[in-house]
Amino acid sequence: MKARIVSREDAPKIVDLLRERGYEVIAPFGGRGRDTFFEPVTDENRGRIQIHLPNPDYPPKRYVFPPMERLLKVERRDGELRIEPTYDEKKRAIFGIRSCDVAGIYHLDRFYLGREFADIYYEKHRRNLFLVNVACTDAEMDIGENCFCMCTDTGPAAREHFDLQLFDLGVDGRGGELMAVAGTEAGEALFTSAIFKKAARAHLERRRVILEEVRKRFKPTTTSWFSAAIQAVSRGEIPDETWDEIGNRCLECGGCTYVCPACTCFTVTDRAVEGEGVERLRVWDSCALSGFTRMAGGFNPRRAVHDRRNRRFFRKLAHYFIERELSMACVGCGRCVAVCHGDVGMPSVVEMIRRQTAQRKEV
Amino acid sequence: MAHQLTTCTFCGVGCGLYLETAGNRIVGSYPSVSHPSNQGRICVRGWHVHEVASSPDRVKHPCVRKNGKLEEVSWDEALGFIAEKMKAIREEYGADALGFLNSPRCSNEESYLLQKFARAVIGTNNVHHGTGVYSNNSINVLLDMMGVAASTNSIAELGQSETIVVDGVDLGKRLPTIGGAVIRAKLKGARLIVVGTRRHRVAESADLFLQIKPGTEALLYGAMAKVIVDRGLMDLGFIKTRCRDYAEFLANIREYDLLRVAESCGVAASLIEAAALAYGGAKSATLMFSASMEERSRDSIRAVVNLALLSGNLGKPGAGLFALTEQNNLQGVCDLGMLPDRLPGYKPVTDESARAAMDALWKTRVPAQPGIGSRAMLGHRGQGKVKALWLSRYDPTNTALLGDVAGQLRQLDLLVVQHLFMTECSNYAHVVLPTTAFGEEEVTFTSTDRRIQLAGQVVEPPEGLTPGWEQIAELGRRMGADWKYGAARDVMEEIGQAVPFYSGADYENLARDYGRQWPCTKDRPLGTRYLFGEGDGGGEELPRNDAERPFKFVAVPKPAERAANPRAFPLTLVFGNSLYYWNQNVLVRHSETLKREYRQLMIDYPQGFVEINPEDAERAGIRDGKRMRLCAANATAAATARITPEVRSGTVFVPHFMREVGQQILGSSGDSFRLVPVRVEKEPA
Amino acid sequence: MNPALAERETAGAAGVMENVYLPKAAVLDRVVDEIHEVKTFYWHFEDAAEQAAFRRFRPGQFAQVSLFGVGEFPTSLPPSPTEEETFFTVRQVGSCTAALHGLKAGDKFAVRGPYGNGFPMEEYRGKNLVFVAGGIGLIPLRSAIVYAMAKRGEYGRIQIFHGAKTPSELMYVPNLREWERTPGVECHLTVDRASRDRAGGEEWTGNVGVVGSLFKKPGVTVPVENTIAFVCGPPIMFRFVIKDLLGMGFEERNIVSTLERYMKCGVGKCGHCCIGVAYVCVDGPVFTYEQIKNLGEDI
Repeated sequence: MKARIVSREDAPKIVDLLRERGYEVIAPFGGRGRDTFFEPVTDENRGRIQIHLPNPDYPPKRYVFPPMERLLKVERRDGELRIEPTYDEKKRAIFGIRSCDVAGIYHLDRFYLGREFADIYYEKHRRNLFLVNVACTDAEMDIGENCFCMCTDTGPAAREHFDLQLFDLGVDGRGGELMAVAGTEAGEALFTSAIFKKAARAHLERRRVILEEVRKRFKPTTTSWFSAAIQAVSRGEIPDETWDEIGNRCLECGGCTYVCPACTCFTVTDRAVEGEGVERLRVWDSCALSGFTRMAGGFNPRRAVHDRRNRRFFRKLAHYFIERELSMACVGCGRCVAVCHGDVGMPSVVEMIRRQTAQRKEV
Repeated sequence: MAHQLTTCTFCGVGCGLYLETAGNRIVGSYPSVSHPSNQGRICVRGWHVHEVASSPDRVKHPCVRKNGKLEEVSWDEALGFIAEKMKAIREEYGADALGFLNSPRCSNEESYLLQKFARAVIGTNNVHHGTGVYSNNSINVLLDMMGVAASTNSIAELGQSETIVVDGVDLGKRLPTIGGAVIRAKLKGARLIVVGTRRHRVAESADLFLQIKPGTEALLYGAMAKVIVDRGLMDLGFIKTRCRDYAEFLANIREYDLLRVAESCGVAASLIEAAALAYGGAKSATLMFSASMEERSRDSIRAVVNLALLSGNLGKPGAGLFALTEQNNLQGVCDLGMLPDRLPGYKPVTDESARAAMDALWKTRVPAQPGIGSRAMLGHRGQGKVKALWLSRYDPTNTALLGDVAGQLRQLDLLVVQHLFMTECSNYAHVVLPTTAFGEEEVTFTSTDRRIQLAGQVVEPPEGLTPGWEQIAELGRRMGADWKYGAARDVMEEIGQAVPFYSGADYENLARDYGRQWPCTKDRPLGTRYLFGEGDGGGEELPRNDAERPFKFVAVPKPAERAANPRAFPLTLVFGNSLYYWNQNVLVRHSETLKREYRQLMIDYPQGFVEINPEDAERAGIRDGKRMRLCAANATAAATARITPEVRSGTVFVPHFMREVGQQILGSSGDSFRLVPVRVEKEPA
Repeated sequence: MNPALAERETAGAAGVMENVYLPKAAVLDRVVDEIHEVKTFYWHFEDAAEQAAFRRFRPGQFAQVSLFGVGEFPTSLPPSPTEEETFFTVRQVGSCTAALHGLKAGDKFAVRGPYGNGFPMEEYRGKNLVFVAGGIGLIPLRSAIVYAMAKRGEYGRIQIFHGAKTPSELMYVPNLREWERTPGVECHLTVDRASRDRAGGEEWTGNVGVVGSLFKKPGVTVPVENTIAFVCGPPIMFRFVIKDLLGMGFEERNIVSTLERYMKCGVGKCGHCCIGVAYVCVDGPVFTYEQIKNLGEDI
């Protein structure tokens, strides 16, 4: 990989480089309190770009898989049916995407492009997306109390699947320099800019030291029992009582699936458009909802909430899918914890599985 | 793309929500992490707010009925028509021939101006809201006993409660953010007590689940009070310094016998005792009940307040009473006077000095005679009493409680419907006025924990549409009122003058923070997290019965023990609301996912349903989806059975929308408080 | 990089990636009433090349039918690729199927497909084929039956068992009659309840009982060795027939069925049809009973 050094002051200029190259640049900004969200960079907010801030709960997957997306436009004219696909091919760059989210995008690549069929809408979003990953090195700002990328091996610094990675070489994000690493040719192409200086061996060493330090700053959660959970789920060894308890605490809001960087389900709906015929939209959907599997005629194989919770964690953790997609559908971002009403996000469920299968085995 | 913080307008929690827009379209919605009430969480409805925008069904132009058909006209013509008709009707029949009903989803600005229009311009107190039938009792009892008709504490404090009692309301489906807060509190060590006949989701997490027989709440709380008294767990300091009429209450409580009550309620005496100890012995305990979707008797609400007073659970964090308002602005709508017998701020219409204050502010003479409520206006149990009706975002044809509304609406001389879509009642309307929707206007709403919040404008409304409040103001001007409101914030300013506990809130400070919980006044510019705090007179702005001892016990006559059901009719029929209620909601109807979720019941049971417990069903040979017969002493009805373990064994639940069943069983008295003994049988093939 | 992804890279870059969600315009030729609430719709793609490509479908596959403004739904392909006409047989059960039922000859709608794995008819060459269809379960099996008949020499014995609640609910009666008459093919019918509800009021003289009762009819021997059993029908029928077949000695991998689930995309992306580890629309809808047992979730 190619590495360079860029000063803290110059780092936001990467945004300008990208804008000059025709990208709409998205970056995280602060809202009220600790709220943050991804927003396009404009001249107005350009000055407020930060390297370190809490990762927004609304995930950046929306730039390759929007919450609502028009697939087709259909018009009837003179007895003829005109069916036209509509694509979004805007060039976008995300400046400040976290390593967990980079792994999430990679997982979506595997799912939407790497399985039986390729999704052209996804492909067009993805081909035009440039990722500037910021490694999480500021324990205060970057590492949330729900983060567990250490357990999913997706952070705090991604090893691949980004175009450019920025790694703050300062202590707790207060250093004067960042290391920029190119992950693709497109990323490397930016290095022609004068803001990038050569990196020395000492910089690499500094990066290594900081990374090791930062790893210790994560909350010691019990989600390091991931492998036990994967095995238990894959073998169908989890007692019904566990799913019952999880189902009892779930309020069926769908939040976990909407915020998950690696969740992919959607539904399709036709809507009349005034004066324009009909549009076919795809909108995010969630297996948490009971209508997700309901068939016309009333049969619903997952009517009960605990069956749906079982389904979610099977899809996330079963070994079959990890093998098939060469990627796990959980990136350790912790968002499902943040939005869950009943505290049945991934870490809690993994812990419950560990505890209950351990108890069983003690017999 | 832009991101704007706003308030979700589905239920009474009022979650902080961000709307993401692209161009003139709302394209995404997600929670605010830092909002004190929801702290990063929203429910399935909040997650789908973005799907509603730009529905092709929106009404785009005002309409007036000509020759039997609604025709699009100009705003000038529509409002002119209304003004003329109203004047004529008032001239011929008097001001009380006109009535004004709004929805508990209407904004504060809409609600305030509508009741002001009725009182100051037309001259009638006939103003009410669609849920009045449910909330009247709560308002009256709370005002009587506490002086305040609202939840006393904040949603954000639930994590500090040692004990939480949830009475009757299915939090998981109705107010999920509160449901989540309650579950998480329990996971962190709080004792969760659930009381009610239905075993809903949150009940599954309860430490103590008192699945009582229907209608026995007052008995239960009386018995709990007795246990607290017997064990000396009452807060004597609080009672002596802040409460009146304790002696009568105490004498009355002594008549409760725990074992007899246990039998009447159908729950173990030990369970009642444990609940009483958990509630009475806690340093801070919360009790919540629904003030908006369940018909509760006054006595059952009195019993709840008595319990809170007895244990001193008012005036400290993590304690208190939540009179939950399930619709997003039921609190605001009542605060601002959409009540036939109360002015903005809850002062009675009959109170001369209160009227005088309004007269001075509005430069008019507010009528002294209280008005009639929604039931009377809509002709429940007889002839409708009004000739003209204004319906603001409210479609009574879908409110099953009110009998043959369509028939009544047809007889009106003037029906004005203000709404986003052509609802069923537009079929009878003389005028339809289309309004702006969520996100297209800047207005305020008040949550169930008194939080006045802004819901801002994030997109442009369709061409020609204006906010409902603006239309009412314009109409007022046409009828001679000297009203000058340039923007919604001007209405809020006047609200502050009319309602002392809103006086410190203005758009500027509401926009800066996460709203303001009232009382918000000059002396409390940041609002009030919980009422009646120590050293806190509670705010002089709140109506007071007795400045020194503001709380009052009310002895609830021990309910006569209900005779056990006759052998021939061993089950008890209960009437209530079902989630079908949400099917009329704008958001639900226009979001693909929500529509699918909420319609499942309707599609699975196209003829409607009546709910029965699996044990009872099995005993009678009744199968899910098949017809069953309900046999009461004097009546029979048939309906499709829905078998669910949520229903208490021994009860049969009839949703209000099953009108025929209601009419057949209850007959013309239509009193759905009645608990009817029945027998169930499967319908012969 | 994974070769599949690399290939997709190239296709995307060259702009030749197919849009699998794009339906193509189709014309309704004629509608035939089958049984109560069930109709057969004969149709063809407007574009001849689309039609030609589609005709290469395999028995057991399905297509996605679009009624724009209402929605899209999946439906089996009952014709065999060896037959001339393309048609669907659809029961009216929801809003999309109701919209289809409201069309008349000449109306336009849209279709995309074929999707799914289909029955591996080439693998079954040389084997005996036993078809067991309950009610409208005959619709997806029809394709395989007609295909096998058209390639008669490639297969061993062919036995068809079809049962319905009443005589008027037997599917594809003209086909059944033809199969009854075909030498070398056995076709056995049964109804749960005899009744006079057939057109013309003819009395039912055939077998009365569930479809499994046909296996024990005198004169009926179901081959087990070197035989594939195709089973399709309502859940209860399915369970009982499986029991019967296993009892007869069939191995789980020689019993094959086609599963149904709520579907939206038909291409393994939307997630609705996933059962355990399988996406019914791409890993199925045809599964052996052995596979069904190992899906990781109850069907």
